[in-house]
Amino acid sequence: MKFRACAIFCVAMAGGVPAWADGFALDRVYHPYVEPMEREIEWRMRGYPADADVGERLQMHQIAYGQAIGERWFAELYAVGQSEAGAALEPEGWEAELRHQLTEQGEFWADWGLLFELEREHGDVWEASSGVLLEKEHGQWSTAVNVSLGVEWGRGIDRELETRLAVQTRYRRSPLFEPAIELHAAEDTLAVGPAVLGELRLGNRRSLHWEAGVYAGLDDRTPGRSFRAGLEFGF
Amino acid sequence: MRKLLGVFGAICGATAVLAGPPEFQLEIRDHLFFPAELVVPANTKVRLLVINADPTAEEFESYELNREKIIPGGRKAVVFIGPLAPGEYPFFGEFFPKTAQGKVIAR
Repeated sequence: MKFRACAIFCVAMAGGVPAWADGFALDRVYHPYVEPMEREIEWRMRGYPADADVGERLQMHQIAYGQAIGERWFAELYAVGQSEAGAALEPEGWEAELRHQLTEQGEFWADWGLLFELEREHGDVWEASSGVLLEKEHGQWSTAVNVSLGVEWGRGIDRELETRLAVQTRYRRSPLFEPAIELHAAEDTLAVGPAVLGELRLGNRRSLHWEAGVYAGLDDRTPGRSFRAGLEFGF
Repeated sequence: MRKLLGVFGAICGATAVLAGPPEFQLEIRDHLFFPAELVVPANTKVRLLVINADPTAEEFESYELNREKIIPGGRKAVVFIGPLAPGEYPFFGEFFPKTAQGKVIAR
């Protein structure tokens, strides 16, 4: 662990990447569904303020285009930018993502899917991961669980395995407003907090999906306060 | 005799499990759902076979049923719904929402 922290610090110093950013695993919680013919443009951001007890403030932004491939696969390509300590947003890398729907919604005890991701960060650092997506509906409530295992490699860091867990339980109150509670856990993240989700129909198969959440860190490696938000324009 | 009845009962039970949930059909034709009101048993999971007889795609969508499913033109798709509490659950076709409307009635 100490060696990994040192390695990341070295990469950070060499490439201008904040050491903490690597371990900040707060992100969107995925659902195991794919809609054929679906296309979307997405913006996501996540970060923590300056007084979050882990150093300078950080904001990470992602802009993506995604589309369904056939009936069961969805591919998405992200450009990633990062801003630290109030500095201007700078390109940080890219991500490619492939989501697969394994089971028909409602067919079994729970719905299942798979997620594959490949990331390249500034400084020639790579991460590949694969994960299982699960969703269980219980009346007006729905719980999504994401479990993933990844490997990180590249210049200046040791090849190592990383695990992530994200759990979201949401109340399906109305299409526009669904309150939720989320838990995010990874090597350097343990955070819990409320989130809200919703979707606005714009007609003619266009929709705007939004998500936002604020989280409290549950250990001293996690920012005391952090946040995430996202918008998806589906068409 | 009792043993024989037991074996017969087990086979019937296994057949029922293998047969899966009861199936209902819904057809999309001229951007309308047929039937527009579909009665299904309450508290039972059902398999809904949606047949799109139109040449254009349509989406079976219902927030109340928590389902969204696109069915390309001339194709079929399966939507599992329930178990539902007794009541009415509206659905619509997102491609032609003005005409393609209906409801599932669980009773």
